[in-house]
Amino acid sequence: MILKVDKVKKYFPIKKGIFLLTAGYVRALEEVSFEISEGQTIGVVGESGCGKTTLGRVIAKVYDATSGRIFYTPHGKENNAIAQAAEIRKNTEKQIMKNYRKDVQMIFQDPYNSLDPRMTIGDILAEPLQVHKVCSSEAALNETVSQLLLKVGLYPEYASRYPHEFSGGQRQRISIARAIALHPRMIICDEPTSALDVSVQSQIINLLKDLQKEYQMAYLFISHNLDVIYHVSDWIMVMYLGNVVEIATPEALFEDPLHPYTSALMKAIPNWNPEERSLGETTLQGEPPSPIAPPSGCPFHTRCEFVMERCKTDKPRLSEIGQDRKVACHLRVQ
Amino acid sequence: MIAVNHLQSYFKTEDGLVKAVDDISFELRPNEVLALVGESGCGKSVTALTVMGLLHRNKTVLKGEILFNDKSLLDLPPEAYRLIRGEKIGMIFQEPMSAFDPLYTVGYQMLEVLKAHTNLSIEKQKQRAVHWLKNVGIPEAEKRFNQYPHEMSGGMLQRVMIAMVLMLQPEVLIADEPTTALDVTIQAQVLGLIRNLQKNEGTSVLFITHDLGVVAEIADRVHVMYAGKIVEKGTVSQVFHHPLHPYTIGLLTSRVVKGKKGKELPFIRGYVPRAYEFPEGCRFHPRCPRKLPRCEHDNPPEISLETENCVACWLYEKGESA
Repeated sequence: MILKVDKVKKYFPIKKGIFLLTAGYVRALEEVSFEISEGQTIGVVGESGCGKTTLGRVIAKVYDATSGRIFYTPHGKENNAIAQAAEIRKNTEKQIMKNYRKDVQMIFQDPYNSLDPRMTIGDILAEPLQVHKVCSSEAALNETVSQLLLKVGLYPEYASRYPHEFSGGQRQRISIARAIALHPRMIICDEPTSALDVSVQSQIINLLKDLQKEYQMAYLFISHNLDVIYHVSDWIMVMYLGNVVEIATPEALFEDPLHPYTSALMKAIPNWNPEERSLGETTLQGEPPSPIAPPSGCPFHTRCEFVMERCKTDKPRLSEIGQDRKVACHLRVQ
Repeated sequence: MIAVNHLQSYFKTEDGLVKAVDDISFELRPNEVLALVGESGCGKSVTALTVMGLLHRNKTVLKGEILFNDKSLLDLPPEAYRLIRGEKIGMIFQEPMSAFDPLYTVGYQMLEVLKAHTNLSIEKQKQRAVHWLKNVGIPEAEKRFNQYPHEMSGGMLQRVMIAMVLMLQPEVLIADEPTTALDVTIQAQVLGLIRNLQKNEGTSVLFITHDLGVVAEIADRVHVMYAGKIVEKGTVSQVFHHPLHPYTIGLLTSRVVKGKKGKELPFIRGYVPRAYEFPEGCRFHPRCPRKLPRCEHDNPPEISLETENCVACWLYEKGESA
């Protein structure tokens, strides 16, 4: 185990008036728990505003969680994991925090905004190595940068160029090189292929999978694209309005989606067969409610076609159903 | 409805002429949905903007002709173009959030359109606008009419934009990536809406997208664009079931599908070239898995096959069995 996330919650306060009093909260993330181990990929899927990016950022410590805990097992102590795990919070010991930041890296959605336009590719890749003092000499540093570029399928000569000289796919390769520079144990991939052209998307997914095999990294793979999530994940978490509504293996999830939201999401995907148009059958009406004032009871009850009286008041808990499967729905869990 | 013949749109830039759209021809037939599909930089949006007459005349070089009901659009003076734009040919854009003016209510912006194109009284205009808001499935249309763009979600605004364009009942609707900025469940709703309105109103739709899944859902015919050229034309079922051009085949197989899990995904090698560095000869040859020697310097012509398909590829020079 690398990481254990326990009931993590993130509320963003809304400040109003001249005294900036808190007028309410954006409930971005509600009590999410999971564990992730070496070489594993957990896919997080959902529509915009479902909290999937917030989850990634809370884990990467871009944001501090409002409540809940994150445990991290330092390298070499994976065996008696829970006992040795360190909690990651505001006042965690500096050395542990430093290791944590080295071990947990992130790849962002937009390769145009996530690379500094005024730094050369070489500088971008050297920065994490310098911060963590990985290389002993200038020559070693240059060598490492060249190796990184080769690793992601680019040429070492590119080190002296600037980001604007590259296409989206190439830039995403550079972001990946930057993320693996410190040999992290886990990468948070936040929609890494969404901004890319179809023909380039599969190149990047293949690269990420090859690197995962080589370094035994864990991925938290965030995407709105169910097909991509199916392909890369060992586990899939489906999120809606800050809540995890279903957890399953990709095979189980696609064969038999248990939560009504999951099946609606699948029906909404265009199916690439002009003879089987499915648009008319889309059952999901309306739009997701605002996370500032989420509905009472089940967050999905306002759009659910199987809604019962109970769903309006009583929030279903994410409960185990069968083997390796969890769902938060009153229909499935009595 | 619209016939585009040998259209070229070149941009004058500091680095010389950028051939964004280079010699393309197609026709949009009455009551059909024609999809232009391609990756970023293939010229699909520039094609739409050219047809709408929205490109800056001094900064572009336009050649060829665009016929709308046998009238040539490129020769029209700006005032005459303005009467066709909106009234006869409407366009909806990709980003509903930035297509509206944030300082005015959506109702005001809808009335502006009616004021410019009709002689209706204010009451009649308002009735028509609200009626169309209801038509595109907006709940509480009267209330929404008085709201500002920021008070609505992306999907809702996209519906408003569709209402705003269709209330003039144009003969042609150009939709430039109308669902790309939306979530899948909302995308399905908006696509269904466009499809239904198209059927009810008999509008012809030129649908521009990069998403082949969306094409399969909505189009009757499809033209595949690559690097400023149309490389393949055909009906949706022909193109999806019997793709001809290596680029189309590549696009269709590089789709991430279930069932191939764990294996390496097929992909098209290399990257999409940028408009100022399009290669010589066939523009796809550096990435093509079936390149012939002549592809490097000879640009393939459009080859019509016995079916309705056309393909611009030397492989099909001697007919369909390549």
